[in-house]
Amino acid sequence: MKFFTTFRKKSPWILHYNAGSCNGCDIEILASLAPKFDLERFGVINTGNPKQSDIFLVTGPVTYRSRERLVELYTQIPEPKVVVAVGSCTATGGVFRGMVNTEDGIDRYIPVDVYVPGCASSPQLIIDGLVKALEILEAKSKEIEKPFKLFGAIETIGNKLSRLNMAKKVHNDEN
Amino acid sequence: MKKTIQIPLGSQHISLLEPIRFKFECENERIIGVDADVGFVHRGVELACTRSFEFKQVGYVVARVCGLCAITHSLSYTLAVEKLLGYVANDRIKYLRMLMVELDRIHSHMLCLAHTAENAGFEALFMQIMGDRELVMEVQEAISGNRVQFDYISIGGVNRDLTSDLCDLIRKNLTILSEKMEILTGLFDNNWSLSLKYKGVGVLSLEDAYTYNALGPLARASGLATDVRAETSDFPYEALGYTMILESTGDIHARNFVRLREIVNSITMCQNIVDNLPIGEIQEKVKGKPKGEDIIRIEAPRGELFYLVRGNGTNMLERVRIKTPTFSGIPAMMEVFKGSQYADAPAILASFDPCMSCTAK
Repeated sequence: MKFFTTFRKKSPWILHYNAGSCNGCDIEILASLAPKFDLERFGVINTGNPKQSDIFLVTGPVTYRSRERLVELYTQIPEPKVVVAVGSCTATGGVFRGMVNTEDGIDRYIPVDVYVPGCASSPQLIIDGLVKALEILEAKSKEIEKPFKLFGAIETIGNKLSRLNMAKKVHNDEN
Repeated sequence: MKKTIQIPLGSQHISLLEPIRFKFECENERIIGVDADVGFVHRGVELACTRSFEFKQVGYVVARVCGLCAITHSLSYTLAVEKLLGYVANDRIKYLRMLMVELDRIHSHMLCLAHTAENAGFEALFMQIMGDRELVMEVQEAISGNRVQFDYISIGGVNRDLTSDLCDLIRKNLTILSEKMEILTGLFDNNWSLSLKYKGVGVLSLEDAYTYNALGPLARASGLATDVRAETSDFPYEALGYTMILESTGDIHARNFVRLREIVNSITMCQNIVDNLPIGEIQEKVKGKPKGEDIIRIEAPRGELFYLVRGNGTNMLERVRIKTPTFSGIPAMMEVFKGSQYADAPAILASFDPCMSCTAK
């Protein structure tokens, strides 16, 4: 397990999805991967495959047609995952707030960990956001790797076995 | 009967910056039919321009139609409204606006070249071009205060002036860039493995370009002489060293070369603008409300951008119609895909420099 933790921390792969943005943040993400800002020094690689990604970079207010794809991509990323919302319109809808075909921000559909402001977000801000996302990713990995005791005391909720409550964490039992 | 298989590309794909979906009908490796779906990023900007924003704000809203050619959008809208208000900008404003448009063209073309190289599998060249592109981005940030969405143009002028320090920075960076362009031109011309991916791939003939209404670099690579900069007289392009760049073969190589040579041409124009900058005010007061209807055409990095603005003498406009170059280019694009290999599809797509957020608005 320590093996995965080390490599997840050293090489977080990003998945980029444009949910209706104006391209401004997308080209800034490309620029921050390029030599001057060099996001790749953190081990970041832009992948097109959600199943290999750890960090989900989303740009744009969610448009009517992109929301199903947004949720589907989110569910395909394996745990632990971090969502970074790049750009003002991703957080609140920005200038597109209230337009007929937009949904005012992605946090209506998927949970967001880091908001990066700016229209368009500058590469410095994007790097800042990703470094923050790395911390969150590390914390999430630790949380996920805590050992579970699968069969604790039998618990029922409304005459049904509650498997979720039975799967308690080991250190909780000891306390 | 031969069997065909359908292979989708998109809406989310490593080679795509923005969502677009192609359905390729393939016979073995060869594409014989294409179906495109472009409306993933439709936001309803045109409607919002007439309902939620006043005409003075709309210039900043239409800039958010597209981040790459934001300045051309706000310039076209501003020119249309200024025509309705009966205002003619002085020479300094015209020159400053032209400077930003040409800088924008340079960085947009460089991004397209980098993206084409990446999609052809040449990652190192992508990094090299993106590194060189920062020279232009630096200049844009220094002039306007933002790297991409510079709200530089407003009705009646521009928002920031060009000082002598800035002029020096522009001269310095553009001189370095023009040296780098020579290296890049040599690379694109002489690299053998790039020529396998580019030469003779994705050919658009002159007849097809004419029939399917191709615009911008896509048309000029096939030899179709169409450029709004030469056709209209809103800006003094001829006096500043503009030349129309034409290639004849119409493949990816020709498109790359049109872009490379246009960058060199734009650098010359920018240097001429900085050297011959007239003296005058940068912001003038414009009174009145737009009434009547007017159209404007501007050459965006991807081709002709068309704006129709109709006002009725109040703060709210009646209609803003935007016709973007990629929208007109889609039939030509679909034609090029037919007959080429599936493996070349990402590189061909990148060489069109499609802008979906322009198309869907």
